[in-house]
Amino acid sequence: MSKTGLAQFQQVFIEESLEGLDTMESSLLALDNGGDAELVHTIFRAAHSIKGGAATFGFPEMSSFTHEAESLLDEVRGGKRAIDGAIIELLLRTVDCLRAMFARAQAGEPLNDAVAEALRNELAAAMGRGAPVAGVQARREVDQADAWTVRFRPHAGMLAGGNEPLRLIRELAGLGELTVKTELDRLPATLAALEPTECHLGWTIELKGPARRADIAAVFDWVEDECDLAIEAKHIVAEVASPVATPATPAAPAANVADAGAVRAQREASAESSSVRVSIDKIDGLINLVGELVITQSMLDTFRGGEVDASRLAMLEHGLAQLARHTRELQESVMGIRMLPIASVFNRFPRMVRDISQKLGKQVKLDLVGEQTELDKTVLEKIGDPMVHLVRNAIDHGLETPEKRRAAGKQDTGTLTLAASHRGGSIVVEVSDDGAGLNRDAIVSKAVQRGLIASAEGMSDEAVAELIFQPGFSTAAVTTDLSGRGVGMDVVRRNVSDLGGTVTIRSTQGKGSVFTITLPLTLAIIDGLTAAVGEERYIVPLVSIVESVQLKADAVRSVAGGGELFRFRGEYLPVIRLHDAFGCDTAVQAIDEGLMVVVEGDGARMGLFVDGLIGQQQAVVKSLEANYRRVQGISGATILADGSVALIVDIAGLVRLQGRRKAA
Amino acid sequence: MGGRTKGKGEARVIALPADFRLASTADVKASLADALGASAAELDGAAVERVDSAALQLLLVFRREAAARGLALAWSGVSVAMREAADVLGLSQVLELPASMPA
Repeated sequence: MSKTGLAQFQQVFIEESLEGLDTMESSLLALDNGGDAELVHTIFRAAHSIKGGAATFGFPEMSSFTHEAESLLDEVRGGKRAIDGAIIELLLRTVDCLRAMFARAQAGEPLNDAVAEALRNELAAAMGRGAPVAGVQARREVDQADAWTVRFRPHAGMLAGGNEPLRLIRELAGLGELTVKTELDRLPATLAALEPTECHLGWTIELKGPARRADIAAVFDWVEDECDLAIEAKHIVAEVASPVATPATPAAPAANVADAGAVRAQREASAESSSVRVSIDKIDGLINLVGELVITQSMLDTFRGGEVDASRLAMLEHGLAQLARHTRELQESVMGIRMLPIASVFNRFPRMVRDISQKLGKQVKLDLVGEQTELDKTVLEKIGDPMVHLVRNAIDHGLETPEKRRAAGKQDTGTLTLAASHRGGSIVVEVSDDGAGLNRDAIVSKAVQRGLIASAEGMSDEAVAELIFQPGFSTAAVTTDLSGRGVGMDVVRRNVSDLGGTVTIRSTQGKGSVFTITLPLTLAIIDGLTAAVGEERYIVPLVSIVESVQLKADAVRSVAGGGELFRFRGEYLPVIRLHDAFGCDTAVQAIDEGLMVVVEGDGARMGLFVDGLIGQQQAVVKSLEANYRRVQGISGATILADGSVALIVDIAGLVRLQGRRKAA
Repeated sequence: MGGRTKGKGEARVIALPADFRLASTADVKASLADALGASAAELDGAAVERVDSAALQLLLVFRREAAARGLALAWSGVSVAMREAADVLGLSQVLELPASMPA
């Protein structure tokens, strides 16, 4: 097999295995919550395919590692061992460790690390539990050696089964230096007596190099039943009780949580540019629509050339209406291809909530609502991190310990709800908890201390809640490794606004908080107002617009340092003249002749000065970066009905640009 | 793509196919059995691109029977792929592959 061919298959294997790991994880969590025994089979099957695949695709370390977990699962499956919290915990960490291994496999790094070694020993130890001590010892002694003899005699039918000794021995060569001796005693003496598809050869292979029995066995995993195999250690490693063999102390759960997150992040980052799976139904729907479009087009074709007489005018109109309808439907369907259920994001939370709440000694029930809500793949991939922040915050700061909850007259177990739904052209994701709610006094005193506000007098609860989105703001008395480092809410808001969405908070002291993320369904189409600036047209995203006002010439004041300000509802906002920012020559200069569009982005407001507004329209976003290059303050381009190009204003980018100018 | 036998009379040349694997062994076996009647034979493996243990096993049996019948055997070409596979399987010596030969 060629290198690229194998790499391609490896990629597919890795993708499928990651899905298998997700299945294992969710099944383990379900088991933890008292799920039925069928789940054990599901977990076992997932582990088994990963093991087999890993052996075939050249990851012997991973294969032998999974083998340990599989053996443990086999005992559970066979009823020899009852599944308990400790085993579930161990297997969950195995899942994390395998994810990390796959990440390393993709990065081309060595698969094993200290964590994997330690975990492997824990798994082996869990298997050995209850067995006679001497037995364990004896097994340990021959588990690792620096020279092995492998006797391998395929059964006659092995070749016909597609298993090639050549491949197996090549794979074995990856573990150390080989001396291969062929045994010809079973070989027939004459051609006539030979059935060429049967295997009459046998091999005795000397392997030099530090290897584990399990690594060697993993190579022959697929052919277990089709050959006689004997693996003997020649030299026993002197140091049996090497550091890795000592019963490993479980790594701190916090590190695990972080690791799992990091691996996920890495994996998702790599997935961002990759593929999307589309159901056949959706594709059939598309083909159907394209068919309709072709019919409409051929119908319209009959009007080409020649005069259209009045009697056929109705038909032409009908055709054009059909064309419009089909185009719209086609557009919706094509967008639908990129739409995936939010379940893939939600699914990571049961595990995370379990780990964090255990660590903090809190009891949390997680409710997921609207998992089937579909949203754009790009949005989906980027919504994960902000949600992780919000969920962490909710458990760490929001929900109380059982004692405090009892004292407040609530149930011991707090409820955390993740809900997704469609609302108009947006998707709304809510993270709500029934915890303590925001502590207004703590926020106010922190804000005063940091000089963000002078006093909270007259500030509404909403305005106070807004303060937590300020960079570096944290009221946590103790900085934990989960949250409270003050890099949270501002990042959440930044991430969400990069997606063209908003985050709002609603909180009642003692009752809980609700964080609401509102996002556009897709990034490919935006609703915008078309603004005229000189000869140019710019699209201002509708979500950013607060309102537009016509100002008198004296309403705008110049300030020292070259900026301009105007008064809007009691606050002074900076003015950005779009013609200055983008260099348009023939634009309106006088304030009272143009229009001030008040926009909000990145938590700040400002006025965009334009010649006038032309109208509202949906703009299909075309990447400027892909077609030209990145331009500060512009998020993309679109093509107007007359065929000319209009640039889409990046409000958040302009705000940042303005901030930098101010700082300079 | 079976192995073809060329030459008439004494030294038979058996050209091994490019894809010399399980599926082709029946054809090659037929031409090898045919060559057993000659007094000398040459194996040409220069064109072999893919080879498996079934194929090498076939050659082993052929050599064994040829030796028993006193047939003079030689290699007229061995491809890199074939040499590599024989090395991995520990068969280079028993197959008496020439030390080095332009493939």
